Amino acid sequence: MLDVHRDFRCCDRFAETATAVRRSRRRLLKDAVLRAQNGQGDEGADPADGGFPVPGQLPRAVTGTVHDVSPHVLVIGNGASETRITLTSEATAWRGGPLDPSGVQPGDQAVVRLHRSQRGVADRIWANIGRVTGIIMERDGDSLLVDEGKTKPRQLVTIPAGSSGRIQVRFPNLEPGYLIDVIGLRQPGELEARIPGTSQPAYPVDRLPPPPMVTGRVAGAISGSVTWHEPFEEPPGLLGASYPALDPEAGCAEDPVGRGIAPRFVRMPYLAVGSLLLVRNDCTGSSCTLPVTGCAAIARLFNDRCVTCGTSPRGRIADLTQASFISLGGELDRGCFNATITVGR
Amino acid sequence: MMLAHVVLEIREAQVPLLSAMLLGGCAAKFQRVLRVGSVDAGLGPTALFPVQLRRPVALATCAVEMACGVALILTAGGLGRGGLATAARLATSLLFLVATCALIELRSSRPDTGCGCFGDFSTSPVSARTLARSALFAGAALATIGLPPLRAPNPGADAARLLGIFAVELAVIAALSPEVGEALVRLGYSEPCELRRLPAVRTLAALRRSSQWRRRAGLVTVEAPIDMWRELCWRYVVFPARVGDRDAEIVFAVYLRPHRPLIHAALVDAASGDVLPWPAAPGRRAAWLRPSTASGAGPAPASSSAPGRGASPGGTAPSASPLSRSAIF
Repeated sequence: MLDVHRDFRCCDRFAETATAVRRSRRRLLKDAVLRAQNGQGDEGADPADGGFPVPGQLPRAVTGTVHDVSPHVLVIGNGASETRITLTSEATAWRGGPLDPSGVQPGDQAVVRLHRSQRGVADRIWANIGRVTGIIMERDGDSLLVDEGKTKPRQLVTIPAGSSGRIQVRFPNLEPGYLIDVIGLRQPGELEARIPGTSQPAYPVDRLPPPPMVTGRVAGAISGSVTWHEPFEEPPGLLGASYPALDPEAGCAEDPVGRGIAPRFVRMPYLAVGSLLLVRNDCTGSSCTLPVTGCAAIARLFNDRCVTCGTSPRGRIADLTQASFISLGGELDRGCFNATITVGR
Repeated sequence: MMLAHVVLEIREAQVPLLSAMLLGGCAAKFQRVLRVGSVDAGLGPTALFPVQLRRPVALATCAVEMACGVALILTAGGLGRGGLATAARLATSLLFLVATCALIELRSSRPDTGCGCFGDFSTSPVSARTLARSALFAGAALATIGLPPLRAPNPGADAARLLGIFAVELAVIAALSPEVGEALVRLGYSEPCELRRLPAVRTLAALRRSSQWRRRAGLVTVEAPIDMWRELCWRYVVFPARVGDRDAEIVFAVYLRPHRPLIHAALVDAASGDVLPWPAAPGRRAAWLRPSTASGAGPAPASSSAPGRGASPGGTAPSASPLSRSAIF
């Protein structure tokens, strides 16, 4: 039996209020110093000043525990608050596989995408969906112990016989040292893997290929794969993105393989928590500006491509919160979407 | 007669060339092992084998390359007359033929994998050039079979002709080698400022040597910055300040280059965030704030008086122990 050591290190970078305050304060100070220089501050100009869209027109996600469900109404809550969501015949659901929305059980942890134009109407429901992305530390039969970085506890992943073939097509090396990314049903203390998140890189993490060399200016718009992560100490509904290239001087606490290691497959400019990214879903055309809320230490080790619509360039460029991923038109059970991010200039 | 003589010279030139390539490849692999700390670090054709066999296959490949390279040299002269020389050259031919076949297989089954040649110096996928180079080496090795023992060329025309043969063949090999392009890129590489790693300590040291700092330091009330973060090519450093009876903040934007960086500064009201005009004649800074005592200071701990003034784990350097440094003062 694999032993899950709870030796993770926590940090407060995800606290929504603190992030928002820090972001706004830093923007204010940056504007003050660069605009005071008679237009010499193009480097630090805020992307929001360039007519970036606001996420008001994007679908909204609601997260909570299912309190009650009937063929027409879903009641989910967060603490003391309750939200009643209307179920229509167009709504779809997922709990390890396609499901009728009324099949969601009280007690399930649900993520609901609300209808874009109809207020309080569910468009899609994901029940008990979970995802583990990290480095395989141990294997015992069909169980894997996975390291997701220092700020999260190690995750126990079981691969049931029915899903094993599907997962091993994309992840042939389920051995310690290799990367894994699976989506499945969140059970107490473990994730029951159902589908592969993306495809497995061919290398173990101690033999990462060298990063590509870039000359001249780094491109302002960077294309690649955008994924999502489960909330851990993040407030429900947080809009934000974990970014693979935080300034090494900031001490990326999630860094599992050496302080400040650069992304291996996409050369991305260094930013800080609170910096703004314009994230565009290349499959749907939706876009919005998101703050950097953390470091995507594991995402930068992947050289996979997203094939949701066409084939993206190699490398993961952002790891979004569930709410952000859904708002930008992503389907949680697909794992990724092809995206382009624009970093403020 | 002349043509036959030139052909013989070309065949003779292959022995040292092949030996140099084999030993060079082996040395590059060994250097990579030292750098990466793993024998099978460069995937190459070992990717065709199951995971548990990759390490022994990588070791065996390197050992065979070295053995063939050494054997070619030892059997080139009078020592290798007859069977020994033929065996060494046959083994080399076989090695390159197998390598060519492995690269063809690798190209079809793992098109994203490099050839692993020269310690995986180039990670470019296997291309027609890589295949042609391997086939050229195989042909060159086959051409050496049956050669008489090698002799030093006569000075003059013979030596010049041999040098010409070496030059032409090396040029062909270079044209077929993706590693050469990679080496040229690495030689001329200059990292863009957005990707350049520059310690915060150096930014602070450069700031404190600047005229901007000398002009503004009289307003600064605390030695250590209360916030510091980086975006693209700029690092922003914020210090608490006091203008008359008003709490303020001075924000410096320091361009990230090692020497004499461009620096901008602004004075901002701590409560409202409004930009304030600089006082006409800022006072002289206190003696304890002089640059000689200030190098390496990190961000100060969070302040409760103004929003966003806290030194955050995401935007500052907790490992730089700002508290201990500022406590000196």
